[in-house]
Amino acid sequence: MRMTRYLPYVLGAALAALFPLFSGAYLEQVAVGMLIYLTLALSWDMLLRSGQLGFGTAGFFGLGSYAAILLFLNVGVHPFVSIAFGGVVAGVVALLVGLAVLRLRGMYFAITTLALAGIFAVVLRNFPGLTGGSEGRMLPNCIYAGNTTKIYWLVLALAVFTIVISEVFERTRIRLALTSIRNDERVAKSSGVNVFKYLVFVFAVTSAIQGLAGGTYAHVFGFVSPEGSFSANFLLLPLAMALLGGVHSTWGPVVGGLVLGALSEYLKLQIPYGHLLVYGAIIVVVTLFLPQGLMGTVRAWWRRSHVTRGAQ
Amino acid sequence: MTLFRTLRRWQLLLLLASLGVPIVLMLWKPYVLIEGLQRGGLYAVIALPMALILGVVGIINLAHGEFMMLGAYFAYWMGVYAGLDPLVAMIPAVVAFALLGAITYVLTIRRALKAPELNQLLLTFGMAMVGTEFANLMWTSQPLKPHLSYVYSSVALGKLRFGTYAFIYTAAAIVLLVLLQLFLRKTRLGRAALAVGQNPRGARLVGIDVNRTYLLIFSVSIALVGALGAMFLTRHSVFPSAGSPFTMKSFCLIAMAGIGNLPGVVWGGFGLGIAEALVSSFRGYGGWADVVFFAVLVAVIMGKSYRRQTA
Repeated sequence: MRMTRYLPYVLGAALAALFPLFSGAYLEQVAVGMLIYLTLALSWDMLLRSGQLGFGTAGFFGLGSYAAILLFLNVGVHPFVSIAFGGVVAGVVALLVGLAVLRLRGMYFAITTLALAGIFAVVLRNFPGLTGGSEGRMLPNCIYAGNTTKIYWLVLALAVFTIVISEVFERTRIRLALTSIRNDERVAKSSGVNVFKYLVFVFAVTSAIQGLAGGTYAHVFGFVSPEGSFSANFLLLPLAMALLGGVHSTWGPVVGGLVLGALSEYLKLQIPYGHLLVYGAIIVVVTLFLPQGLMGTVRAWWRRSHVTRGAQ
Repeated sequence: MTLFRTLRRWQLLLLLASLGVPIVLMLWKPYVLIEGLQRGGLYAVIALPMALILGVVGIINLAHGEFMMLGAYFAYWMGVYAGLDPLVAMIPAVVAFALLGAITYVLTIRRALKAPELNQLLLTFGMAMVGTEFANLMWTSQPLKPHLSYVYSSVALGKLRFGTYAFIYTAAAIVLLVLLQLFLRKTRLGRAALAVGQNPRGARLVGIDVNRTYLLIFSVSIALVGALGAMFLTRHSVFPSAGSPFTMKSFCLIAMAGIGNLPGVVWGGFGLGIAEALVSSFRGYGGWADVVFFAVLVAVIMGKSYRRQTA
């Protein structure tokens, strides 16, 4: 019984790990992008589970990119150390922002985080000596000298790490706290949940994950720049993925990430300049007509069909 | 009673500051005052329709700046194909954007009115992205700007020489504020809108058609912001992401003034404009002007949460 329960996870992990054996460099490249966006989508959803809508994904992603690349170039540490540093910087900045802004929530939090990417970009542009100004900085060499198979495994490790963190959040008492905050903050507070502490904690952790993703991305593609690293894509795509897959769970954003990641390659070929339009449209349509996302709809359908079968 | 007194003292301080700062600036850095009033007028006039939507419909429209950006593109292409000056193109823009606003309301906003606030934010964020990417797809990210000679008019006052055209934004902000206040206080329709904004259920009970009021206010606001896009185009170039800073700055002004306080939005706009102009007047630090609104926003949020805790 226990074995069969874990079988899908084991099979999925094996399939993901062995993917490079039966795919070429192109598919690996596609999968790398897909997994980075999937990581962002999942981290965004982890914050949403507490009822807070954060738009800071692109901001912390870019911040992590810059922190990783600058430490790597100026101090010359191992790439892994610099990626971890990117995560730490994003987490600490999120902690400070959260301490200030999470006191008022809802639209105040959402719009402040929406402004973050622009603010970080301006700040980094204004230290041209360190950050290269609007030109950005380039690495002499990408990580693993651009070996796509190794890069794929690195990014896969990041995605699996995020999935594990998300599952930890889902299976420990953190889930109870976050769900109760989402449902009714006053009830949560009166049941002894320290609302503010939990929210700041989750905001810092998810932003650190976004920073890690940014550091990894920057090492994979070998450059940072204000326009590239803080691009709205790093907000738009993860949101579309998580919403399409279904929010408030680990597997919704993962499924959404895989579906949209595959679809995006097709769209990129079909409409090279306007494929992002589709993601915006997905956000609008899903919010209006499919608020449970694909996973939620499938789950509801599954439950319904089981119930009717039980009745017969 | 003490609260009342401290409030009065605060207001007095604010009044003194709002009189004192311009006088000091006029003597110290006159250009900052001029530039600030022009810039601030633009921020204020664009924030007003957003404040109207938030106050009456109760929705924060994250696609606000994108509607302005589309209005600017509309005026640009009216200029290219019909030879209209952007200021003349404001008239067709009002009609076109009232229609666009009504369609947007019926297709999307109306369905999300009862949804949680987060869904409304997500919805309008998605709309903003659709707007930006639509502009990107249609007209690429190339900045566009018509050549207009009259915007370079300037005037000399003693040793001071400055452009006068951009005061159109200052004037527009004050005129729009007065018109909106008259509309909301004196007309039947405006009073109905105010009532709906305060309490939609109560308004429905006394026989106001809430849904039609929402539709009206949303379309009027989008029509205004579309026309303002045309006015924006006279001085600035338009590109797909030109609108998004205005969404953020408008929200900053509304948060500063408090929901429903239209004059506060205008004063806040002038304050923000002057602060930004002051920062950019220091050589080498001009790049920091874009951060000012964020500092203000965070300060406002902290101030509000502090007041909520003490109250």
